[in-house]
Amino acid sequence: MAVEPVLTIEDLRTYFYSRSKRAFIRSVDGVGLQVRRGETLGIVGESGSGKSVTALSVIGLIDAEPGVITGRVGFRVNGTEWSLLPSIGDHVSLAEEDGRIVEVVKDNRGWRRKVDRLMHGVRGREISMIFQNPRVSLNPFVTIGSQVAESVLLNTGIRNRREAAEKARYWLEQVRMDSPGLRFAQYPGDLSGGMCQRAMIAMALSSEPSLLIADEPTTGLDSTIQSKIVELLDDLKKAVGVTTVLISHDINVVARLSDSVAVMYGGTVLEYGPADRVLSPDFLPKHPYVEALLESIPSERHIKDGLLPRAIEGEVLDTVNAPRGCRFFDRCHRITNGIEEKCRDLEPDLAEISAGHQMRCWLHIG
Amino acid sequence: MKRYTQRSSVVVEFSDLPFWKKADRRDLFYLGFGLLVLTMVLVSYALGSLEWLPYDPQEIDLDMLMAPPGTEGHLLGTDFMGRDILSRLVLGTQAYFLPGLLSITIALTLGSLVGVLSGYWGAGFDTAATYLGNLLDSFPRLVFILLVVAAFKPDIYYIMVVVGITNVPVVSLLIRDKILSLKQKTFIEAAKALGLRNRTIIFRHILWHNCRSTLIIQATLGMAEAILIESSLSYLGFGVQEPTPSWGNMVQAGSNYFMQGQFWSSTAPALAILVTIMGFHLLGDGLNYILEGKRS
Amino acid sequence: MSKAILDVKDLKKHYSRSRGLVSALRGRDVVIPAIDGISFYIRENETMGLVGESGCGKTTVGRSIMGLTPITSGQVLFDGEDLSVLPPSRFLPYRRQMQMIFQDLDAALNPKMRVRSILREAVTVFDRPGNEGVDRRIRELLDQVNLKESKLTSFPHELSGGEKRRVGIARALAVGARFLVADEPTSALDVSIQAQIVNLLVDLQRDLGLSYLFISHDLRIVELISHKVAVMYLGKIVEMGLAGSIANRPLHPYTRMLWSSMVDGRSLEGSPSPGGRGTWGSLDFERPQAGCRFASRCPVYRDRGRPAVCTDPSTEPELLDVGRARKVACHFPLQ
Ligand SMILES: Nc1ncnc2c1ncn2[C@@H]1O[C@H](COP(=O)(O)OP(=O)(O)OP(=O)(O)O)[C@@H](O)[C@H]1O
Ligand SMILES: Nc1ncnc2c1ncn2[C@@H]1O[C@H](COP(=O)(O)OP(=O)(O)OP(=O)(O)O)[C@@H](O)[C@H]1O
Ligand code: SF4
Ligand code: SF4
Ligand SMILES: [Mg+2]
Ligand SMILES: [Mg+2]
Repeated sequence: MAVEPVLTIEDLRTYFYSRSKRAFIRSVDGVGLQVRRGETLGIVGESGSGKSVTALSVIGLIDAEPGVITGRVGFRVNGTEWSLLPSIGDHVSLAEEDGRIVEVVKDNRGWRRKVDRLMHGVRGREISMIFQNPRVSLNPFVTIGSQVAESVLLNTGIRNRREAAEKARYWLEQVRMDSPGLRFAQYPGDLSGGMCQRAMIAMALSSEPSLLIADEPTTGLDSTIQSKIVELLDDLKKAVGVTTVLISHDINVVARLSDSVAVMYGGTVLEYGPADRVLSPDFLPKHPYVEALLESIPSERHIKDGLLPRAIEGEVLDTVNAPRGCRFFDRCHRITNGIEEKCRDLEPDLAEISAGHQMRCWLHIG
Repeated sequence: MKRYTQRSSVVVEFSDLPFWKKADRRDLFYLGFGLLVLTMVLVSYALGSLEWLPYDPQEIDLDMLMAPPGTEGHLLGTDFMGRDILSRLVLGTQAYFLPGLLSITIALTLGSLVGVLSGYWGAGFDTAATYLGNLLDSFPRLVFILLVVAAFKPDIYYIMVVVGITNVPVVSLLIRDKILSLKQKTFIEAAKALGLRNRTIIFRHILWHNCRSTLIIQATLGMAEAILIESSLSYLGFGVQEPTPSWGNMVQAGSNYFMQGQFWSSTAPALAILVTIMGFHLLGDGLNYILEGKRS
Repeated sequence: MSKAILDVKDLKKHYSRSRGLVSALRGRDVVIPAIDGISFYIRENETMGLVGESGCGKTTVGRSIMGLTPITSGQVLFDGEDLSVLPPSRFLPYRRQMQMIFQDLDAALNPKMRVRSILREAVTVFDRPGNEGVDRRIRELLDQVNLKESKLTSFPHELSGGEKRRVGIARALAVGARFLVADEPTSALDVSIQAQIVNLLVDLQRDLGLSYLFISHDLRIVELISHKVAVMYLGKIVEMGLAGSIANRPLHPYTRMLWSSMVDGRSLEGSPSPGGRGTWGSLDFERPQAGCRFASRCPVYRDRGRPAVCTDPSTEPELLDVGRARKVACHFPLQ
């Protein structure tokens, strides 16, 4: 029996409008993902490919306009089902030209109100997020301890301040904060980068969420603490069954923790499947982008031979002007004569190439 | 409902559009209205200084007492002494414009200075400044003004200096708080590391980029306030003294005749006050929205 | 042999955290020894990697060198001149020689300035290349860090993490300094762009002879681009030596722990974690520890039956030369 999905994202599009260019920045352009209970979904992909924006769209924290313009986000826990996005039809109308959205009319204020209502009691309590830039996400004028304790008070059954402080200390210890007693009373500005990061993780975990969205949780941490955090997340998953969406550039961390992996590029998902298949360089077939990505990881071989890692050639994709065909077209090495035209003019669908393994590439769709 | 459109499916041009093309229509209207009012004030001021007025505003014409608007030669009519209202209205800008500028200049420069000193260099100075500011704030401003009027003379410049000084704590507190919250972000430190001088950091990074909307709003509010204070004091007889015209003493002089149906001699200056104050408010808002690129 | 561009001697930086008036009077304020006497030098054309636990003082070292925080004691010699005693006005010319890439993604970016003005400012701090020159230089920088020109009109809050990072790097490169403190320059970047940045730094070093202090948690990258590596633990350098030898033959127990705990993607199930799962003798500044600071977590200390010399306050291990350009601070270095 398949475990029911906790989070279902369908056809999510989040655009921003640049007034100075009079153009849309198509940051998330048709993303669909699913996370089942107790599973970890890893999201990797190029910088700027829309990973953070996808996460922020899910918890309704997109402020810039027009923001989310299509999609459906379903969240189900303990038999209760929430829809996290207002129904699009009531607030948004779109016009297309050449198969591309060129006009959006959106009732931003109504949307905002509706999102806040839908998110009430979900954001923070059922879903919590570790943000990519911890220093910005912590309040600089409140001590670390009070911030974590506040989150405990707000989001768990604990009502007593003393108990909440105890609990906050417990979580700070869990994320391996040194001298937790001292850090408890310090302000974010007095902590090192990695400590802020750990404080952020402690805060996200302290609300004991059903779904944890972790955006680059381990970048600022050294390998010993990193491995402890990875263990902690692993333990939470095994013991409590926390469902996690893990966004990271550290492929090793993703490989270690994830059950399934989505690879994003230019606002879309290029490959989506079980972690051991997607991230293993030896498993074929591979999407050309993923292949190149895995090749640019510095490995033992590089270090031994003093070689520098190889970057994927070409420029990063501009989300203002995505090509009409495959988004990886300009940088792809595997285009064959037979499919070149298709690659250039027609975007491939995310098609199932084997059970539970999807890919967006003409090489692999009939 | 807000509409966002992209002209074609492929964008080729990446250069910046000029601000009036990307600005909101409402903001442009605000700005336009504000600028119109500002221009009218400036023109009136210039006309007044050059004495290019239809009539001598102080010339008494006993044949023409309380002539209604539209009377031959008197577009807005005359007052109870037969003086031309339009001319007096135009000359009335003199009563507040320069004094207002003076008070704004005092409030903004001293306020920014104190704010920057206490926010940027902090500690001892900050404590002293906050203490003094609180002291100044706790003292009713009107009492202050009346004291000055009593001690020196009922001159609008003295009054506006007082207004300017009493506004210093307001501005300095705004700037100081802004700087304190900016200091939590490390970009100031990074600017130092880049090799910028303190001067550049304060003027460019702090005042220009992060405080200019505050300063602009304070400046336009300051002018609106100057008008209000000038007219209310003149109305009470402490400000600009007859026969020199000011909008305040014109309203006051006309108010005796208002009930008798001769509304124009007080309505015209009252409307002028209203429109001008609104103009300066909208000017501030419009500038703010357009410079900051968003509505907040 | 080229001469040292940067020479740090016995640098100390202590933060104190006041716990209110009463404890201040009793002298019970907590002192955080963020850096506690470290010395190293960097030669021209050389990269020194600085690694260590999060919170051990790496960023503080960078900020002290850059003169962004007053130091408690010690010397920072740049080209033979002691920067730590220079008044701010005389420091200014050195800013042209040394720049820093900040760890915090938003650190370098004024939230109210567009990317274009941020870069223009950096290009024009010391030079006046004229409008066209500035534009050319900005385009060149964007190209080097692989950022799209369409991002020039964006404000920092409209950028993704990696885009902010790249603007920060471009900004530091814009000045054309000879020495760069790179604090986690590759965090928030995907592996491909990481590779690009690493290659860029190496190319610049080859072509222009730059020197770097390269702070990072990514041990593989540190190993790849550094000539020598210093390992810090709680404010002290515990081991220093050539890059390859540190990684392959660590002498200090902490160094070994650091390298062996790199999360390896392949060992999906139950990789052995050093020091045992769940154990973490964490350090507490409120109860300062005597002797070696690593003792509470040190496997050697535990295996040798807790020798007193490790925790004796009078015999705190010092960083000693052990031959082959290698220094280590431990009473029982690994073999
Ligand atoms: N408020 C905004 N206005 C305009 N563009 C935005 C805004 N927020 C994000 N973007 C753009 O959307 C794109 C995707 O951003 P996102 O933060 O999701 O990237 P990411 O995949 O998380 O990358 P990274 O790994 O670098 O953090 C980027 O190109 C970014 O510039
Ligand atoms: N302004 C400050 N006030 C008090 N303590 C501070 C301040 N800045 C740093 N510290 C302390 O100094 C120590 C070292 O911090 P630093 O930022 O140098 O660490 P780091 O090695 O860069 O760590 P990370 O890898 O997590 O960035 C930490 O214990 C931190 O709490
Ligand atoms: S669809 Fe074509 S261009 Fe795109 S990844 Fe596949 S082969 Fe390359
Ligand atoms: S001195 Fe002793 S406690 Fe410290 S690292 Fe060496 S063996 Fe471990
Ligand atoms: Mg991101
Ligand atoms: Mg740091």
